[in-house]
Amino acid sequence: MSGQSSRVPSVLSLVGSVLGLLFASYSTLDYAHHLDRRLHEVHCSFIPGAPATSEGEACRAAMYSSYSAVMRDSLWGGIPIALFALGAFAFFAGFSVYLTLARGRSSRASHAFFAIVSITPLIVSLIMFTISVTKLGSLCKTCVGTYIASALLAAGGVSGWIAARRSAADLGTGGDASRPDGNPLMAAFWLFVLGAVTILPAGVYAASAPDHRPYLNQCGELRKPEDPSSALLKFRGTNPVQAALFFEDPLCPTCKAFHERLKGEQVIEKFDATLALFPLDSSCNWMLDNPLHPGSCTLSKAILCAKGQTRQILDWAFDNQVELAAAGKQGDNAMKAAIQRKWGASMVTCIDSKDTKVLLNKHLHFAADNGVPVSTPQVYLGTRRICDEDTDLGLRYTLKQLAPEVLK
Amino acid sequence: MTATKRPSAIPAAVVGVAAGAVATLTVLVMVQVAVANAKERLTTPEAQKPQVAVAADAEVAYCTPRFKQVLERVLHSCGLVGGEGGRRGCQPSDVKTFASISDEDFNELFTPLKDRGGVVLYDEGKDDLDEKAKKLLEDMWFERKGARYFFVVARASKSGSVDKNRALSHRRANSVMYYLKDVAKDPEIEKTVGLLWLGNEFAQLSKDYCTWNSSRPDSKCNDDSVNRSAFVSWVDCRL
Repeated sequence: MSGQSSRVPSVLSLVGSVLGLLFASYSTLDYAHHLDRRLHEVHCSFIPGAPATSEGEACRAAMYSSYSAVMRDSLWGGIPIALFALGAFAFFAGFSVYLTLARGRSSRASHAFFAIVSITPLIVSLIMFTISVTKLGSLCKTCVGTYIASALLAAGGVSGWIAARRSAADLGTGGDASRPDGNPLMAAFWLFVLGAVTILPAGVYAASAPDHRPYLNQCGELRKPEDPSSALLKFRGTNPVQAALFFEDPLCPTCKAFHERLKGEQVIEKFDATLALFPLDSSCNWMLDNPLHPGSCTLSKAILCAKGQTRQILDWAFDNQVELAAAGKQGDNAMKAAIQRKWGASMVTCIDSKDTKVLLNKHLHFAADNGVPVSTPQVYLGTRRICDEDTDLGLRYTLKQLAPEVLK
Repeated sequence: MTATKRPSAIPAAVVGVAAGAVATLTVLVMVQVAVANAKERLTTPEAQKPQVAVAADAEVAYCTPRFKQVLERVLHSCGLVGGEGGRRGCQPSDVKTFASISDEDFNELFTPLKDRGGVVLYDEGKDDLDEKAKKLLEDMWFERKGARYFFVVARASKSGSVDKNRALSHRRANSVMYYLKDVAKDPEIEKTVGLLWLGNEFAQLSKDYCTWNSSRPDSKCNDDSVNRSAFVSWVDCRL
């Protein structure tokens, strides 16, 4: 490979690096915007810079997951891994420019170094892809953009190295005699530079991030935490160290995501949890004019009926939320049929009983007595309400501050 | 043979380093600015903070200020609110005093509860609940929804003395309360049910109320029989 064709690998790397920079920039900006504790839309498109939409739930799920950032204990939201990608892609962009301009003058050692390090974003991308598929169950488009950029970068780096090796092999047959071998020590120097540039944006982010501690206690307390008729449900983890109260709707996707975060952070077993069902369905919940999650009242009754199996039925409801939500939209009978298939006919009899109706009503009155916001999920540590933003991005940091024993 | 000078890669390296440095610097500035902006927004209160509805008891159209005023007086004077261990219920003289309202106006307040409530009917001189009365009570009780308070307004017909009818309506109110305690098994019931017994002294019902949902829809109904009753209803008002 010589002449114009020798530029193709480095140009490919450059394109991959620039794309990676763009996608990582949008991921980082989305993350940084949320440091103000407000709700923002999230960029979620294969087109870098496409306007943020409200349909970016897969990207939001990825952003809120425990895999999107490091050091979440010590910094609110942690340090997004996109920041490391930003630094690394900036380095790769510069190196690609060098290889593109130097062409046959670039050393073989530089090609070998670049080939090796250009694979690292692809390896990280493969790991993140696996996590997205196996743990999150969805692929975020911005993340996929980064994966593609990483693949282009790796393809360019490796093919450039192969081309350089081939030119060395062709030496004896009139190949690229002008390409120098290069100094292997330079590879160590460039590795150091790559490391420094990779962590630099994270360092700047961590140094300038705001202190969220003053905001953690500002979301109120339960007015009337007592439950004299013992209507609320209990589910204790295997190693409970912290009392907590969750207001949840089994058909609420955010509740499902919250539970998955609790599991992902490996803290769910540390809670001595009380569950107040708060279905956002106007068929039983008078606080709504229209059903936000139709069928949720019936499913909530099923949870009340599954005595001693609260955790199991809640997990089942979240695991099958899409199907159950579809059944709920079809009507009460479809929802009951879905419940009966898993839990038997006696469950439906219990759902239809007056006692269950009264019990669910008590859960709703508990919410009314405490004047909680009409939204789910809501989390209380003891009687203190955890702000919504502290149940997603700031979850681990908040637990570290307010209930450190949960993280031990 | 002429020695060819190997071309230098240094200019390309300089450009590459410069490109990398510019990219890195741009990234650092972008991160710094994004975080600084978020920090500023964090310390600046939102001009239009999104309002989130707060869970509360039901509140429907019939909860007029006048209606609420009477109900509040009932709650406070009849022992539902702030009356731990105190007396329970209101008798005619209490209602006359605290309601400061005429018989007609008192009944008018309850008119919007026609579809929500029901009239438990009794035999003359009796306070026993028949099976239909029990069923009506259960139907009413288990349709609580978002209501906070359940009102029982017991009466007696004109026949008989004032004292006798006052006692009779008191027993009728209690019969409802005892039955509800039995079926509801709710430890909060004392703070939920408001009892009023009016005897035949105050706010007698007209036979217009014969058209209301009652425990004896097929029986003959007149001015007398409709007052041998206890009107029961959840009240969907925030008080």
